[in-house]
Amino acid sequence: MNERVRNDIPLIELKNAALGYGTQAVLSGIDLSIGHKETVALIGENGSGKSTLLKTIIKEIPPLTGSVLICGRDIKKLSSHDIARTMAVVMTERIYPDYYTCFDMVCAGRYPYTDSLGRLTKEDRDAVEEAMSLTGTKDLSDRYVTDISDGQRQLIMLSRAIAQEPDILILDEPTSFLDIKHKILFAEAVGELVEKRQISVLMSMHEIDLVREMAGRFVALKDGVIDRDGDTSDLNDGYISSLFGLDGINYRKYHHS
Amino acid sequence: MKGRILTYYLFLIVAVCMLSVMSVMLGTATPSDPSFEIIVLNIRLPRMAAALILGGGLSVSGYLLQVFFSNPIAGPYVLGISNGAKLVTALVFIVLAGYGIHLPYLGLVAASFAGAGIVTSAVLLVSRKTRRMSVLVLAGVMIGYICSSFTDFMVTFADDHDIADLHNWSMGSFSGMSREGVVISGILILAGLTAAMALAKPVEAYLTGETYARSAGVNIPVFRLMLILVSSLLSATVTAFAGPVSFVGVAVPHLMRRLFKTAKPLILIPACFLGGSAFCLLSDLIARLLFAPTELSISSVTAVLGAPVVISLLIRKRPDGR
Repeated sequence: MNERVRNDIPLIELKNAALGYGTQAVLSGIDLSIGHKETVALIGENGSGKSTLLKTIIKEIPPLTGSVLICGRDIKKLSSHDIARTMAVVMTERIYPDYYTCFDMVCAGRYPYTDSLGRLTKEDRDAVEEAMSLTGTKDLSDRYVTDISDGQRQLIMLSRAIAQEPDILILDEPTSFLDIKHKILFAEAVGELVEKRQISVLMSMHEIDLVREMAGRFVALKDGVIDRDGDTSDLNDGYISSLFGLDGINYRKYHHS
Repeated sequence: MKGRILTYYLFLIVAVCMLSVMSVMLGTATPSDPSFEIIVLNIRLPRMAAALILGGGLSVSGYLLQVFFSNPIAGPYVLGISNGAKLVTALVFIVLAGYGIHLPYLGLVAASFAGAGIVTSAVLLVSRKTRRMSVLVLAGVMIGYICSSFTDFMVTFADDHDIADLHNWSMGSFSGMSREGVVISGILILAGLTAAMALAKPVEAYLTGETYARSAGVNIPVFRLMLILVSSLLSATVTAFAGPVSFVGVAVPHLMRRLFKTAKPLILIPACFLGGSAFCLLSDLIARLLFAPTELSISSVTAVLGAPVVISLLIRKRPDGR
């Protein structure tokens, strides 16, 4: 996608970073490197710092100490425009303006590429079209974002991120409020995207079944540090129980996979 | 889609033209009057131009505020910004008049801009505490009342001869506009309108929220500052020349969104301008003619036409719960 990106430099790298808000560190001593063609799931309890980590990576909040590098460059020295050509996001923020069509929403992903009036070229239109066919949302083009279901909207937001042609996709609990059908549709679209474009994905996620299905690697956050960083094939019930404090709770009874 | 939008534009342009002609031709003085020509040239034409230019500017200012607060019922009047601008303008005017200094138009606009800025900052502080638009608007209305009370207080106790014009102005009125005022306000509003159009691309991205706009490459702090400066320039210019004019900034952008059925700023910003012009020309005609020769204040007419729109916005359900 992006010629500036070299394959031997990690897309995202955190070195001994403390992250949080104001002076309050939520996470500390974070060392994390995400390379090319990796799908990484961020797991942990509510309040364990998943969102804090993602917000730091998308430059919504600055790191308190340590360094955060995007494609080898210090995030503090990168403009929003630089980051936009490397990274696209699907976050939990939900603001849906009136009379905003799904097509326009996906076009918003072309922002880093269009001229100062935001006019779309043929290339932009093709990218939008391709993104919407990948998520199977082309039928929704002319509908308003206020008129479709949460699940459909999330697929539109994913299309928007795809149209941005990132090297890495950042997803913050993208499936949390979706019904089962849209959870699956969303997961499949991400899978197809990774397959097709060979990009990386970093996502926070609560559904452990989906994590096993979608991600190759997991990073578990607990008590303000990275508790474990490994293969999702090693993500066994014993570890899930200890990570989420499920001692004495019959996890299997409620969670079939 | 393109044809429909052109049709609506044409409709608005025709409406503005017709209302402009009516504003100039209708009134107690008829063409057979010997003083008709003087009345048209010196009174009705500047007044018509004021309603056209300032009405358009006010509506665009409201649109930009709605983008800024991600809130469809934001506007310079409901957020108290118009009354803040009025307070500081009146204060500066009265104090300087006490020293025998008559403030030039640009000085009035500068004072008005300062007032708009102060109230906007206050409303911004409130908006950090709440995302509920009803609370934000309530706070704005209260701030507006406080500013308006202080202005009334000052106007009441200022020297009589200073405030003959000031009283009309502080109620909101397009009368008393001079030709020089038309030129200066025209230039300022045109500058604001151009700047708003130049911001159309980031405005569209910002409609989807701050996080998504940032991730698309918008420099959020710079953009927000630009947005508030342009909006304040527009509403301050309007208030400096016509006093506080209610509800135009909220109602017109909403009506335009409903009419054009689009969220695209490149289409909506010019539409808001034309719609605001038509809305204010019509309101001014009603204010002038309904009980002629007695005039109503422009805000009492715009409120009757505009406030129901705000109520309809408050009571409807939204998928994002705002």
